[in-house]
Amino acid sequence: MKVRRTCKLLVEPPSSATGDIAFNLIVFFLVCASIQPDSGRPQEIPRSEENQEQKEEVENIEIALTGNLNAISLNGDTVRTSELGPRLMKLLSTKKRPQDKIVIVKSKIDTPYHHWIDITTEIEKSGGQVTIQREEQQTIQVQ
Amino acid sequence: MKISRRPLAATVPSMAMGDIAFNLLIFFVILAKATDDSHLQWEPADSTEVIRAGAAKASIVIDAESKYYLNGQQVGIAQLGPQIEQILEGSAGDDRRVLLKVHRSATANHFEPIIEAVSEAGGTIMHVLEERRNRP
Repeated sequence: MKVRRTCKLLVEPPSSATGDIAFNLIVFFLVCASIQPDSGRPQEIPRSEENQEQKEEVENIEIALTGNLNAISLNGDTVRTSELGPRLMKLLSTKKRPQDKIVIVKSKIDTPYHHWIDITTEIEKSGGQVTIQREEQQTIQVQ
Repeated sequence: MKISRRPLAATVPSMAMGDIAFNLLIFFVILAKATDDSHLQWEPADSTEVIRAGAAKASIVIDAESKYYLNGQQVGIAQLGPQIEQILEGSAGDDRRVLLKVHRSATANHFEPIIEAVSEAGGTIMHVLEERRNRP
């Protein structure tokens, strides 16, 4: 009678390699995380200058923003946000000097950032140069 | 008769190499995290026209709780202007770029002072935004 020899080999990965596997996994995930570059929009906002003479000569376009996302104020007139582009292009087409193309953006404190980005993108697309005007804070002492 | 002693091989166990590398990596990751702002919670605004932001010496974050961070460190609004000037000192051109990462619903009273501070420091603002795929 022949007895068949059973040969069951235990196959398991060498435990010494687990460290290397972990190392390679971490490198893989680090590389994956670092290949997602940020995207965005550059914007140059001029520094504030106190030049009174220039201020008197130039009549800039003024845009006022509030928390209302559907309407803005363009030179005092209420304009729907969707109509801003064509209106602004029309106004800016008459202005030739770069200093005349400055558009002053005034924002109420409740203006959300995404709305501000939408409006300033539209201004720059229309050929305007964005500048901001903030409300000055004054401390008044009451006697 | 002298029996010569068998020489003992004193080698570093190669089994530990992986673990050493792993621990070194963790150390450097934690070190890098200190100047990184990826752990901050903010949601970018979206825009139709975006370009690659590239690298910058300074990165300012306004998170979901309207707190200010400069290069991952929380700062007050009063300290921000001088610190940006210090970082941008001696830089020119693209090196004057400042990444602005503002939570989409942050309000003007929080983001306008930052924009003003960067422009006063002579920096070029790069608004970090998400590309808008479908216009509502």
